[in-house]
Amino acid sequence: MTDAADGDGDGPATLRVLGLTKTFGDNIVLDGVSLSVNKGKTVCLLGPSGSGKSTLLRCVNWLERPDQGAIFLGPTRVGFRNAGSRIPMTARELAQVRARMGMVFQHFNLWPHLTVLENIIEAPMHVLRRPRDKAVHTAETLLKRVGLIEKRNDFPSRLSGGQKQRVGIARALAMEPEVLLFDEPTSALDPETVGEVIAVMRTLSTEGRTMLVVTHEMQFARETADEIVFIDRGRIVEKSAPQLFFACPHTERARQFLQRYSVR
Amino acid sequence: MTSADLISLLQGAAVTVALSLAAIVIGVPLGLGFAILVWRRIPLVQLIVKTYVSLIRATPLVTLGLLIYFALPAVGLQTGPVTAAILTLAINTTAFNCEIWRAGLMDFPKDQLDSAQAFGMSWPHTFRRIMLPQLARTCLPALVNEMTLLLKGSPAIAVVGIVDVTRAAVRIGANTYEPLPPFLLATALYAAIVFVFVRAQRWLERPSKLDEVRV
Amino acid sequence: MIRDFSIVFENVDRLLIGLMNTLVLSTSGLLLSLLIGIVFAAALMADNRFVVRLTRALVDTMRCIPFLLLAYLVYYALPSLGLNFNNWTSGLLAIVVYNAGYMAEILRGVWAQLPRESIDAGSAFGFYGWNLYLRIILPQVVLAAIPMIGNQSIQVIKDTAFLMIIAVPELTHAASSIQSKYYVPFAAFISAVALYWAMCSVIEAGVRRVERIAQVRR
Repeated sequence: MTDAADGDGDGPATLRVLGLTKTFGDNIVLDGVSLSVNKGKTVCLLGPSGSGKSTLLRCVNWLERPDQGAIFLGPTRVGFRNAGSRIPMTARELAQVRARMGMVFQHFNLWPHLTVLENIIEAPMHVLRRPRDKAVHTAETLLKRVGLIEKRNDFPSRLSGGQKQRVGIARALAMEPEVLLFDEPTSALDPETVGEVIAVMRTLSTEGRTMLVVTHEMQFARETADEIVFIDRGRIVEKSAPQLFFACPHTERARQFLQRYSVR
Repeated sequence: MTSADLISLLQGAAVTVALSLAAIVIGVPLGLGFAILVWRRIPLVQLIVKTYVSLIRATPLVTLGLLIYFALPAVGLQTGPVTAAILTLAINTTAFNCEIWRAGLMDFPKDQLDSAQAFGMSWPHTFRRIMLPQLARTCLPALVNEMTLLLKGSPAIAVVGIVDVTRAAVRIGANTYEPLPPFLLATALYAAIVFVFVRAQRWLERPSKLDEVRV
Repeated sequence: MIRDFSIVFENVDRLLIGLMNTLVLSTSGLLLSLLIGIVFAAALMADNRFVVRLTRALVDTMRCIPFLLLAYLVYYALPSLGLNFNNWTSGLLAIVVYNAGYMAEILRGVWAQLPRESIDAGSAFGFYGWNLYLRIILPQVVLAAIPMIGNQSIQVIKDTAFLMIIAVPELTHAASSIQSKYYVPFAAFISAVALYWAMCSVIEAGVRRVERIAQVRR
C-alpha cells in the first residue's frame, strides 16, 4: 500500500482520496477528486464557497457517503471492509476508523452537556476505553497547550468562539489521531479571536502533525501549508506548493479566487 | 357479549361524548372570559383567576368530582349525577382553556390594537372584529388538544355514578366474567372518538388558502 | 366547618399514608416509564422502518386509551389471561405502560429538534449505536425535555387518583374513606386538593431550579 496515487515521495501517504464523487440530487458536489496527505504534512484545501471542500472533508470520515471513489487511511479503506470489495463496514468498524481521525468542525460541535475537560476525555474514555486518570492527564496537558487549563470545569456555553475552537482542537488531539481534519475552523469566529486558533494550528503543523485543512485564511495557508489544493465546482483545479500557488497561479480561476480573498 | 351489551357500550360512548361536549361548550367561552380578565390586569379578579387555574391544574378529576358530588349537597346545593359530572368536567377544562386563551392574548400583536384605537374603534368592537377571529385561529389547535385530554379524563365521572363507556365496559365484564372483550371494544370506541378530534386538529392546523391571500 | 377540618386533622395519619402511596406510585411509575420511554424513543428514531412503524403504532394506541380504562385492563382483564397482580402492582403497571408512550413521544420530539452538530461530532469521534445515544444524544435530550417531563409528572400524580377506583390506597382514596366514615366531604377533599397542589408546586419549583442548571449545559 505504498504506491500513493499521487504521493510526492517523502514518506508514506497517511490519507489518500481517490476519484471521489458525490452528488446531492442533480447537483454534482465532488467530481472525481483525488489527493493525498503524507505523514507529517499539512495540506490546505482552498476554493470558493460551495466548491465542495467541506463535503470532501465530511466524506473522508464517512459523515457523508460518497457515491464513487475510495478513501484510505493508512492501509485501511474507509467505509468498506477491504480495498476491493463492496462489503460495507459495520457501524463498529466504521467507528474504529473514525476514531483514528481527529475532526475539528466549523461550528465547534462541542458537546454542550459536558464541561471542557469532559468534552476532551469523553471519546478517549468511552471509545478508546482509556482509563480515566490517563485521559484526564492527557486532557490537562492539551488544555495547557491551548491555554485553557483554567477553563477546564466550565461549560462550552460560557466560552468565546475562539476558546470553543481551541477546546475543539484539544478534543481532536486527545484521540492521538493519525490525521487531523479541519473544516473551516475559523469561519464562524469573530475576527479578533481568529488569531488565537490560527496560532495553535500553526504550532501543530510545525511539530509535524498530519493535517488536512479547509480554510479561507490565506496567510495561514501560504505560511504553513506544504501543499495547496485548489478546488472549484467539485474539481481539483490546481495542486502546488504554496509559494508557487500564491505567486503565480496557473489557472484563471485560481487567479480570480486569490484576487477576491487576498485583498488584505 | 350480547347485542344488549353492545348497545349499552354505545350508550356509554354517547354519554361520554355528550357530557364532554357540554363541558366544552361551557369551558371554551368561559375560559376566554377569564383569560381576558387576567389579560386586562383587573386587580383582585386577576389574582382569583390565577389561583383557580393553579389549583385546578393540580387537582385530579376524580378528586374534583368527589368534592363536587359530596360537598355541594353539604352546603345545601342538591345536584344530580349529570349536573355534578358536567360541573366537574367544565370546571376542569375551563382552567386549561383559560391558560390557552391567555397565552394567545399575550402573543397578540400590540400594534394592531393601537391602530384599532387610532381608528376610534370601541373595545368590544375591536375585540369582536379584530382580535377574536385571529385568536380563534391561533388557539384552536391547542383548544382541540385540550378537548382530547378532557375526553380521556372523562372516565373520572364514574365516581359520581355516571355510566360512561368505561363504566359500561366494567359492568359487562363483571356480568359475563369475560372483561377483555368489552374493554377492547371500549378502547376502540375511545380511539375512534379521539381520532376524530386529532383529525380535526390536523385540519385546523393546515396552511389555509386565506393565509396566502392575506400575505 | 372548623370541626370538620379538625376531624380530618385527627385522621391525618391516613391522609399521609395516602400521600405516601401517591408519591411512591408516581415516582416509581415515572422513573420506570422514563426508562422504557428512553428505549422506545430510540426505536422511534431507528433506521429500521419496521421497528419504527411497530413502535409508532404501539405508542399511538397507548395515547388513545384513557388511563382508567388501561388500569381496568391491567386489573380485570390480565387475570383472564392468567396474569394476576394485586391492586397496588396493577396500578403501578398501568402508570408505567400508560406513561411510557408519552415519555417516548416527548423524548423523540426533542431529539428530532436537536442540532445535528453535536451528534455529528459524536459519530466523528467514534461513537455509534447505544454508546452514541446514551452518552451524546440522550443527556442533551433530557436536559431540553425537563419542562415537559415536569408537566408529565404532574399529570402522573393526578392520574394516580384514578387508582382509587381499583381500591389502591392513594391520597384520594384516603380522603374518600375519611369522608365516608365521618361525613366531612368538603374538609376531606379540600385537604386532598391542598396536598395535590403542594406536590405540584414542589415539582414546578424543582423544574425551575433544574432549568437554571440546564441552561448552562445547552
